[in-house]
Amino acid sequence: MPNRLQSIWLIARREYLERIRTKGFLMATILIPVLMGGGMFGAAELADKSPTASHIVVLGSQPELAQDLKEELEHGKDSKMTVQILPFATSHAELDQKIKDKQLDGYLVIEPPKEAGQRPEFDFTPRSTADMATTTAIEDALHQALIREYLADKGLSAPQMDALMAPVELNVLDRNGERGNSRTAFMVAYALFFLMYLVVLLYGMNVARSIIEEKTSRVFEVLLATIQPDELLAGKILGVGAVGLTQVGIWMIAFGLLAAQMGATSGVQVSLAQVIYFVVYFGLGYALYSAVAASLGAMTNSEQELQQLNMFLMLPLFFSLLMLEPVVTNPNSVLSRIVSQIPFCAPLLMDLRISISMPQPWEIALSIGLILVSIYAVLWVSSRIYRVGILMYGKKPNLPEILRWMKYS
Amino acid sequence: MPIVELNRVRKVYDTKVAVEGLSLTMEPGTMFGLLGPNGSGKTSTIRMMIGMTMPDSGSVKLFERPLQREMLSRVGYLPEERGLYKKMKVLDQLVFLGQLHGLSEATARERSLAWCERIQITEAIGKKTEDLSKGMQQKIQFIAALLHDPELVIMDEPFSGLDPVNAELLLNTLVDLRREGKAVLFSTHRMDQVEKMCDAIALISRGRLVLSGSMREVKARYPRNRVHIVFSGDQSFLGHPEVEEAKNYAGVAELSLYHEAGAQKVLAEAIARGTVVHKFEVKEPTLEEIFIEHVRASFDGEEAGGTADA
Repeated sequence: MPNRLQSIWLIARREYLERIRTKGFLMATILIPVLMGGGMFGAAELADKSPTASHIVVLGSQPELAQDLKEELEHGKDSKMTVQILPFATSHAELDQKIKDKQLDGYLVIEPPKEAGQRPEFDFTPRSTADMATTTAIEDALHQALIREYLADKGLSAPQMDALMAPVELNVLDRNGERGNSRTAFMVAYALFFLMYLVVLLYGMNVARSIIEEKTSRVFEVLLATIQPDELLAGKILGVGAVGLTQVGIWMIAFGLLAAQMGATSGVQVSLAQVIYFVVYFGLGYALYSAVAASLGAMTNSEQELQQLNMFLMLPLFFSLLMLEPVVTNPNSVLSRIVSQIPFCAPLLMDLRISISMPQPWEIALSIGLILVSIYAVLWVSSRIYRVGILMYGKKPNLPEILRWMKYS
Repeated sequence: MPIVELNRVRKVYDTKVAVEGLSLTMEPGTMFGLLGPNGSGKTSTIRMMIGMTMPDSGSVKLFERPLQREMLSRVGYLPEERGLYKKMKVLDQLVFLGQLHGLSEATARERSLAWCERIQITEAIGKKTEDLSKGMQQKIQFIAALLHDPELVIMDEPFSGLDPVNAELLLNTLVDLRREGKAVLFSTHRMDQVEKMCDAIALISRGRLVLSGSMREVKARYPRNRVHIVFSGDQSFLGHPEVEEAKNYAGVAELSLYHEAGAQKVLAEAIARGTVVHKFEVKEPTLEEIFIEHVRASFDGEEAGGTADA
């Protein structure tokens, strides 16, 4: 008879090899980073450079302002519109018709100021009031044009005006005094956060699913004749977790190679410490969530039933997601410090804080300690539920029944 | 020296009493049949024998010692619910299960191949389990229970769902194992198999033991009071006072008598009346008859008790 460690090893190895060999593993390994990366870059690209290309008409009582506006809208930073200046007296009805025929996206009427020295009034009739991009672009452009007009009045030359109005560049320095890129640092922190969120959830669910699979195929009956439920549970958690770590490892290496290829130009930096903390917190978070998932799997008989209990896994993860914003904006606030100590959120939120702004060493130590204690507690409970639950088929147990299981196992 | 010994074992699941005050012993090198109708507690009893569940009270001994985990390496177990990993290849699966029983990978592989040949499923070796028929899967699990060469083989309904040819094959394999000196215990509700093969039986109904002992003992307890007679001519002898019950199928009759000695009297009466007797056989009751009688009695008793309580 193999000893406990050998049994755990055999179970874990089978679990690992059977999973690694599946097409699903290959697909997930390739598709998840592609989709995630694509999604993030796509969103960033879209938010950055989607100049509005509307076609509008300006009816101006002040030709100079209208001309400046046209210039700004046609060649500005964020807009590539087509602007047509028409005499102020042009019939609005005619333009309305054009909008109706979709030849025009809107028209702007610059009314002369009611009193001298005041700003003119601007009336914009868009084709769709929901077209926020165009309205915002026009607002910005008008603001710029008005300032230019004012400065021109004060006798500034065009180059002077350009210099004055050029956007400011802020150099963000890291601790070593080198120029860093706060944007990519945040991107990396976000990416690591979502990676962990995804992998913990995915592999936690995998543990539950594999238990249900063994339950429905009744493999347990055979296995339990030789090994004990705790060994089975431990082997399963370790095996599935190893698959998760392998997957994350593949991603990290691929990412590292990619970053090395692209060199400094990418500006994306992941420090070794970041990677180590990520692996540590991933391991802890996964162990905690998969222990919960194991008891969910043992309590249920089918995937459908599992779906109903999923919220126990999702809820803390979702809460962490909600806390993402407050923690990112203020990583050292009291709120951030407290939520990043909650064992079910710590893997995600403490790791996020580490990526953004290194917390005190005792905070890291405390959070790891709390997670370890929780893992022990959850494993204690779920191994009891598991021991009884895996041999129970048929109806789903209710809470008093589950409590009784814990007593008599 | 018993190889399996249960002493006043009781197991309750929530409110249902699965096994109540059950004691039985099994000698080494014998074949033991655990009989009982569906839901009588056979599987619960077997699960306690291999320590998968613990009895609420009473004791379980294997190999003359209280049950311990290490002993399970000497036990081969085939559960009632067939279960194999669907996506795993047959050989990988057998090797894995063999390793769990403490075999080295090489030994497990070697023995798996030998067994596959022995029970004629070599063509399945490279296939995935999910591609196999139920009967095939059952044979694979049968092998898995025997890979580590156990001294005690415990099988829960080993022949259910098999075609006669395969059932015969596995049955003969079990007989071979017994010949090699192994102790084989199996549960079933197929009496014909038990009657042919088993050295000893235990009959349980509603979680209680109603009958146990060696096959000879059990049968000896029942008088040879059954008569099978083939005749032609006068049939009035069937009304003889020794006859308790007679079923007459036009020239073939099954009689049940009050006393063993009655058979001769009935035969004499028939000849005296001029009946032509072609065949006259005195029999003991079949195990099936004993089984049905006891199970009925246990259910009747329960109902009677129920009404008395009410």
